[in-house]
Amino acid sequence: MIARFRAVLNSQWKWSRLIVVLGTVAAFAIPLVSLQGAARADRGALQAQELLRAVQSWGTLYPLLATALGLLMAIAAWAPDHRGRHIHALTLPLERWRYVLLRFGAGGVLLAAPIAAVLIGSSLAVLTATLPPGLQGYPIALAVRFAFAVFVAYAVFFAVSAGTARTAGIILGVIAAVILVQVVAGMANIDLNLFGAAQTVLLQGPGPLAVFTGRWMLVDV
Amino acid sequence: MSDTIQIERLHYRAGKNFEIKELDLHVPSGSIYGFLGPNGSGKTTTIRLVLGLLRPLSGRITVLGLPMPEQHARVLGRVGYVPEQPHLDSTLTVRELIDFQAAFYPTWDRVRAEELVQRFELDGGSLFGRLSKGQKAKLMILLALAQRGDLLVLDEPTDGLDPVVRRDILSALLTYVSERGATIFISSHLVHELERVCDWVAVMDNGRLITEAPMEKLKQGTKRLVVFGAPAEIVNPPFRVLTRESANGGGGENWVVGNWEPAMTSYFEGVGASVRDVIDLDLEDGFVELLRSFRKGGTGR
Repeated sequence: MIARFRAVLNSQWKWSRLIVVLGTVAAFAIPLVSLQGAARADRGALQAQELLRAVQSWGTLYPLLATALGLLMAIAAWAPDHRGRHIHALTLPLERWRYVLLRFGAGGVLLAAPIAAVLIGSSLAVLTATLPPGLQGYPIALAVRFAFAVFVAYAVFFAVSAGTARTAGIILGVIAAVILVQVVAGMANIDLNLFGAAQTVLLQGPGPLAVFTGRWMLVDV
Repeated sequence: MSDTIQIERLHYRAGKNFEIKELDLHVPSGSIYGFLGPNGSGKTTTIRLVLGLLRPLSGRITVLGLPMPEQHARVLGRVGYVPEQPHLDSTLTVRELIDFQAAFYPTWDRVRAEELVQRFELDGGSLFGRLSKGQKAKLMILLALAQRGDLLVLDEPTDGLDPVVRRDILSALLTYVSERGATIFISSHLVHELERVCDWVAVMDNGRLITEAPMEKLKQGTKRLVVFGAPAEIVNPPFRVLTRESANGGGGENWVVGNWEPAMTSYFEGVGASVRDVIDLDLEDGFVELLRSFRKGGTGR
């Protein structure tokens, strides 16, 4: 099984190396850039507010990067199989769920690089910065949260991307049905807020996408 | 002799326009089994059912003694497959594809793979997408042969290739069979090609099996007869009448028959007719006549 995983990993690396390299560079750079200018020792209370605003503003890039990495890695994992109509994959001598796990696992291993880059970049940023009194750096917490976000995005897009056109059609159909019901409910003056309910279920804790919301702070009180 | 592939009462439907119905097929172990049929007759679908890529509505498929698709992982470890269309990733090189495939087959023969790379003059560093059609076919054959399977399933492997490449591929296949005693199940509409290499043949049309027989029996048993004085209706002939039509002038008729044996001329004498000539048909003629007969409402077999 190790040889098989290595073979799948090699092929997936070839398909997604540009995404991994660019994602890793971005993941390393964002924490460093977000604390740029924080290496001065003369910061007072006002500067601390300023710093927090800057960190929060740069922090919006982490969930975006996590989503983009998850999406692109998931597409790269399946695109060659889709092009070959899955004939090669389906004629390999292993159970299909094992093949899916190999593909998923290979993508997961490759995503370790940008996650490690966030950890290293944010640790370096915090170490080289002089933080105002009362503020602390949270490089490990940020990297763990980024890792969660990357894997949630990767898992969701991997599952969608693995499907056929029919699966995509079903997903779009469900979304269209929700929109239609909402529109009809609005016209009939029925008190129904499906989008609000969906948002609550998905985005508020412990919703599966809650990790993407809220503030992503490398430095906080 | 046991059967490497057994299909019994197979039923499969794809959409409203195509179905395979009541299909029975038996591929003897160690045979080179030709699977003939016009385009769209159901050959590729049957192959995909055999390999577990599709699930039948009913019926039973056994490959190498194991039920399909239930045991597909075990079966596919002993089956080399070359599909009709190149299915490998175009962004990987020849070497990368060989290494990828090797990782999945415990019986992979590295020496044989290297030998075939040399013999087929493949460049290990070339991307699969940049190979010519002939080189792609050679690489797919290489991958199927180097895994040392007990069964090779080849779906139109030489379709559209030049004669030199076709000969290289067929020669490699024959060498493999003679060394390993493996079974080859090869589909094609290139009748002459199958005639040269196969010892069993099946003909399919419109999702139905028309005939399945040893190659020699099919070739020797299919004749064109020039018959005089035959009655309009004939009862229980010992042979199979595929087609019957008036000859050009002279009052005679041309019959194409299957399961023919020389002693059967006495049947015509018994019904007051005479056979003036018995003409051998090659496989292609026999194939065409079988199809014509089937499409006119014959039952096949």
